[in-house]
Amino acid sequence: MPFDFQHCIRCTICVANCPVFKVDPAFPGPKQAGPDAERFRSDDDPSIDRWIRLCSQCKRCEVACPYGVNPAEIILREQTRYGQRHFRSFAQRLFAHTYWVGIVSSIFAPVVNLLAPGTFVKKVLSLFGISTAIPFPRYYFHTMGRSWRWKGSRKSRKKAVFFYGCFINSNQPHIGRGVRDLLASLGVRVVIPRQVCCGLPALGNGDLETARRFALKNTRILAGYIDKGFDVIYTCTSCGLSLTRDYPGILDIADGKKVAENSYNLHEYILKLMDEEYIRSDFDPLRRRVAYHIPCHLRALGIGYPAARLFEKIPGLEVHILEDNCCGLAGSYGFKKSNEHTSTTLGTDAARAIKAVDPDILVTDCGACKMQLGYCSGVPVCDPSEILRESLNVTDAGI
Amino acid sequence: MNAAYDAVIIGGGISGMMAAITLAGRGKRVAVVSKGDPVCCFSTGCVDVLAEGENPLKGIRSLPEHHPYHLVGETGIAEALELFRGIMSEEGLPYVGDVHANRKVLTSLGRSKVTCLVPETMEFGGVDPHESFHILSFHKMKDFYPQYITSRCEKSAYSTFDAGITTTAGIAECFEDGGFLDTFVAWVRGRAIQEERIAVPAVLGRRNCGAVYHRIGAECGRRVFEIPTLPPSMPGLRLFGGLKNALLRRKGDVYWGGGIYSVEKLNDQIEAVTLTGPGRNTRVEGKAFILATGSFVSGGLQASRDAVMETVFNLPAYFPGTRDVWFQDDFFAAGHEIEKAGIRVDASFRPLGTEIENLFVCGSVLAFSEVMKYRCGHGMAIATGVAAAKTCMGAYDAV
Repeated sequence: MPFDFQHCIRCTICVANCPVFKVDPAFPGPKQAGPDAERFRSDDDPSIDRWIRLCSQCKRCEVACPYGVNPAEIILREQTRYGQRHFRSFAQRLFAHTYWVGIVSSIFAPVVNLLAPGTFVKKVLSLFGISTAIPFPRYYFHTMGRSWRWKGSRKSRKKAVFFYGCFINSNQPHIGRGVRDLLASLGVRVVIPRQVCCGLPALGNGDLETARRFALKNTRILAGYIDKGFDVIYTCTSCGLSLTRDYPGILDIADGKKVAENSYNLHEYILKLMDEEYIRSDFDPLRRRVAYHIPCHLRALGIGYPAARLFEKIPGLEVHILEDNCCGLAGSYGFKKSNEHTSTTLGTDAARAIKAVDPDILVTDCGACKMQLGYCSGVPVCDPSEILRESLNVTDAGI
Repeated sequence: MNAAYDAVIIGGGISGMMAAITLAGRGKRVAVVSKGDPVCCFSTGCVDVLAEGENPLKGIRSLPEHHPYHLVGETGIAEALELFRGIMSEEGLPYVGDVHANRKVLTSLGRSKVTCLVPETMEFGGVDPHESFHILSFHKMKDFYPQYITSRCEKSAYSTFDAGITTTAGIAECFEDGGFLDTFVAWVRGRAIQEERIAVPAVLGRRNCGAVYHRIGAECGRRVFEIPTLPPSMPGLRLFGGLKNALLRRKGDVYWGGGIYSVEKLNDQIEAVTLTGPGRNTRVEGKAFILATGSFVSGGLQASRDAVMETVFNLPAYFPGTRDVWFQDDFFAAGHEIEKAGIRVDASFRPLGTEIENLFVCGSVLAFSEVMKYRCGHGMAIATGVAAAKTCMGAYDAV
C-alpha cells in the first residue's frame, strides 16, 4: 500500500473527477496532493501542507484511477499526520465526536430542536467556525440505541447484526427501525447490540487515535457476533466503507479483516437472499418518478448499485440514476465554515441535476446527501429502504 | 442462476459501453465492470474512423486482411457509427460529420487533425492555415498556449479572458454557471472581433456544453468552435459521460472498482468474475462475457521481457515476436510492430486458441488493430463493440 503512488502515470483522470478541485482553487487536486506530494513526504519531516484539509474524502479520485493509486487514501494518511502535529480547530474537535454530539443532543432533543434554528445559536456556532448554510438535522429522543432490547425471531436461519451508524441513531431512527422491520419481514433474525461511531468522522477530522478507539470497540462487538454466524449489515454507505476498508486498512485493527469480509450493504444482502432463494420477491407496484442520487461512498464500495437493482423489480417505479455529482457536504466537511463555499456550490450543482429529472421524490442512501440535497433541491427525500418497505407492505413494529 | 446477467462487459471504455448499450437497448440485462475511468476520457472526443483518404469507409478495403474492421464490414461500420450518433444526440451531445467523408479539426498545436465524426462544438474547426480566425483563451490557462497556433496560422490572433481559475476543469465548471457565461459573452461582444470564426479551447462547460456553445455563437454572430486540449480533456469526459448515462438510462448496471480479482470457469463456459473490492470481493455472474479492456495503456494487455499477456482471462495473445524483432527507437512512428499485439478472434469475435464458448472480444485489445498507425481508434472501438454485442446476442437467441 505505501508505494501505490509510484503507479501514478499522471494521467489527471483523478483531477477531472475531483469535486473540490473544480470549485476551490486553493486545493491543488488529488494528483498533486496525493501521489505527487507523497514523494517528498517522510515521517521525519513536518507535515506542512495546509491545503491537505481541503480534501473531502469523497473517494471519487480512487474510483476513477485505472492504476490503483488511491490518491484519497494517501491524502487521508497525510491529513491524520497533519492533525497529529497541528492545532485542530474547535469545529474539527467537535465533529470528530459526532457520536457524543448525537447522544447528548438526543437526550435533550426537544430543547436542541427548538434552539438550533434560532439566530442566536447560529451566530454562536458561526463564531466557532461552524457553517449554518443548511439547517441542522433534527434530533430524536428515541434513538436506535434505545431499541437494544429488540429480539428477532430465533426461528430464522439467517442472522444479522445491524450496524446503524450515528446519523440513523440520533437523526433518523425511524429509518433504522424500518430497516430492522424490513429484514425481520424477510425472515432474518436481526439483533441491534450497543455500538459506537464507526470512526470515520474522527478520521476525517484528523484524529486517528479516537477513530481507532471507536473501531476497536465496534470490532470487539461485531467480531463476537460474526463468530456466532451473524452477518453485519449497514445502510450508511460511509459507515460501510469505513468497516470494510478503513478497519483492516489505515486503522489497522487486528480483527478488521473479519469485519470487512462479513459486512453487507442492506440491499446487497437482500439481493443475496433472493439469489439463494431464501426469499421471493413480491413487490407491489409503486407509481412514482424517482431521482436516485448515488452517494460517492456507494460508488467507492465497488458493489455496483444494489438498491437500483431492487428498484427494477418494482413495477411502475421510474428510476433516474444520478451518479455524476458529489453532494458536497461529505459528512461534517461542509459544516465547517472554511468549506462552506465548496459545499454549497457543489450542492447547488447536484440539486440542479436532480431538478432536471423533475422527480416526485429524491432517494439516496447517505445521511449527508439527504440533508444537503433535500435542502438544496427542495424535493422530498427518502431512503431506498423506505421505498422497499412500502412496496413490500412492511408494517411498523414500533420502538 | 437467477442472479446472472445476460452479458457482463469487462471494460467501460467506448467499445465496452457501445456493446453494453447495444445489448441493453434490446432488453438484455447487462453489467459493465470497469477498473477506473477509461482512456477515452483523455481523447479529443472526435471519432477517427480511418485517417487515410477522403472516404474512411472506402479506405477500409486497403487495410491488411487481419484488421478487425474486416470482421464488421463497411455497412456494419456505418450502422454502428450511426447508432453511436443517435445515442449521443439523445444525451444532448450531438456529433456532426458524414461517415463517408473525413474532415479536419484544429488542434491546440495549431495543426489539423484528420477525423470523421466530431462533437457539434467542433463543427467549424476545419480551418485552413491561411484563414483568419480569432482565439479566445483564458488568463494563465494551464497547458494551452494560443501562441502555438498563432505561430503556425499567421492570420490568427488571440485575446485572453480572466476566468479567476486557470485549470481546464475549473474553467469548464465556471461555464456551467449562467452568471459567468453572461460576463463572458459581454466580454466577447466588447472585443468587437472582426474575424469570421472564433476558436475557444474546449472548456465550454462540462455537461451543458451544447447550450453554452450555441449561446456564444448566437450572441456573437460568429462561427464558434472548440479546440481540443490536453487532458483533462472536456470533450473526452463528455463522451464518456454520455455513453455511461445512455447505459444507465437503458437499465444497465455499472460496477466501478478495483478490477478483476478472479475468474470462475466450468468446462468451456465462464460463469462469473469477482471484483477486487474493499472487504469482500463482489461476484458478478453472467451467461456471456465481453472483453473490452483495451490495449497496453488501458491495462488489457501487459508486456513482459519476452511475451505479451492478456490480463483478465489469460487468453493467448498474438505478438510480433521477441523484443529484438519489434524494438524501435521511435515509439510514435506510424507502424510500430508492437501495435499489432492483441487477441485474435474468429468471425464471431470469439478468441482463437481457447475452448471458451461464451466470451467475445472487442475494441483495441484485438490483434492487428494498429490504432496509432491507421488512426482508427474510436471508430474501431464503436464498430467492433456493436458487432461483438450482436454476435453475442445471436449466440443466445440460438440456444
